[in-house]
Amino acid sequence: MAILEVQGLQKRYPSFLLDDVSFSLERGRIMGLIGRNGAGKTTTLKSIFNLVHPDAGAIRMFGLSMPEDERAIKQRIGFAGGAVEYYRRKKLREIAGVTRTFYDSWDDEAYRKYTSAFSLDETKTPLQLSEGMRVKFSLTLALSHHAELLILDEPTSGLDPVSRAELLETFLFLKEGGVSILFSTHITTDLEKCADDIAYLAGGKLVAAKPLAEFLKENEQAGHGCSLEEIMVHYEKESLYEKLAE
Amino acid sequence: MKSLLNKEIRLAASPLSYIFLSASLMTLLPGYPILMSAFFICFGVFHSFQNAREANDTLYTVLLPVKKADFVRAKFAFTCFIQLTGFGLCAALTAVRMTALSPAAPYVQNALMNATPYFLAFVLLIYTAFNVLFLGGFFQTAYKIGMPFLSFGIAALVLIGFAETLPHLPGLGFLRTPAGERLGIQFGLLIAAALVYAVGTLLACRRAERRFERIDL
Repeated sequence: MAILEVQGLQKRYPSFLLDDVSFSLERGRIMGLIGRNGAGKTTTLKSIFNLVHPDAGAIRMFGLSMPEDERAIKQRIGFAGGAVEYYRRKKLREIAGVTRTFYDSWDDEAYRKYTSAFSLDETKTPLQLSEGMRVKFSLTLALSHHAELLILDEPTSGLDPVSRAELLETFLFLKEGGVSILFSTHITTDLEKCADDIAYLAGGKLVAAKPLAEFLKENEQAGHGCSLEEIMVHYEKESLYEKLAE
Repeated sequence: MKSLLNKEIRLAASPLSYIFLSASLMTLLPGYPILMSAFFICFGVFHSFQNAREANDTLYTVLLPVKKADFVRAKFAFTCFIQLTGFGLCAALTAVRMTALSPAAPYVQNALMNATPYFLAFVLLIYTAFNVLFLGGFFQTAYKIGMPFLSFGIAALVLIGFAETLPHLPGLGFLRTPAGERLGIQFGLLIAAALVYAVGTLLACRRAERRFERIDL
């Protein structure tokens, strides 16, 4: 059963149109939402979370509809927009202490396990943490209420190679535990290391939403390149060429 | 709602919101426009909104398992909590001024408003102006606080000026007697103001919920 279903999502801005985006994510799989800057990745993720209002389309998670079942859905998902950017002068302990009161399934033991595994010092504030540690704190909050679906907006951007590798390792560990992850990125090598599926957005349109291996094989056979980076460059350069030729 | 109010107090609120509650002590000042205490208490709440905006409180909150309308209600609940605490302090000090301190010369000779139920009624009207103009204006964008506060500031000064002028009109001098006079009329005004506060705040909250729901964050 699909844990996340996005059907015909459309959002119109004065200078941008996210048009007819549809994809689904199964339990225990990692999906990378890729596309260059401004392709519509963040708009898609924000629409899933009801932070922006789609003009058309339907979003279902765990068989429930967003926004009708917003509270029930949010109990079961975690969102991290990269590093923690809120309450930068409050101690991690205070932020976690408040956050825990919102979740029925908050697990203090899990919280302690992740803070210890990620070497998070609860007496520090987000301001005192590196970018990588802030991402880890963000993940800790999501995982401590046993989120079944993690939605992450460019979590690896701005991280050093070691932190990125650690984060990807964490994703793989969570996947083994049945957690589904949807994360946006334009760092294609991250996806090749851990993603099962991809949804590729270009200029607000969905180019593909399928298993990564299948996507790579099809494009290799079509001569678009052997890696995600080569394939992305192939698609984006084509559209740039058309623009210049107009 | 309990968790959200707890979040407001522990994470989003500025200490200035609590410190400015001490402005209630202005109720005791003779020769001073004591309604300014209500303005300063609202100014303290304004600091919490400023603090919350800088701390990305909106984004944190809407990602929690709550509806967007819950966020609006929590902000109103926190504001009312501060305002009613301030009102309670002003009411207690008003009672002291109207009884034990009423014969004191500075109050008897006071050219400005004395603390009476009439004063408390205007405290509530100033709070209402804050809830309608500032909170209502804030939730149009969820980040702009300057213009909504300016609107409130102007409205508050007009209300203070009006409230200070009224007792100087013929036949209305009883509104500023230190021990209180014609208390039936004054408490009637206070009850009417309490109704305006309750209804105005409720309507402002409903409108803010609709406005905030429409915003793309």
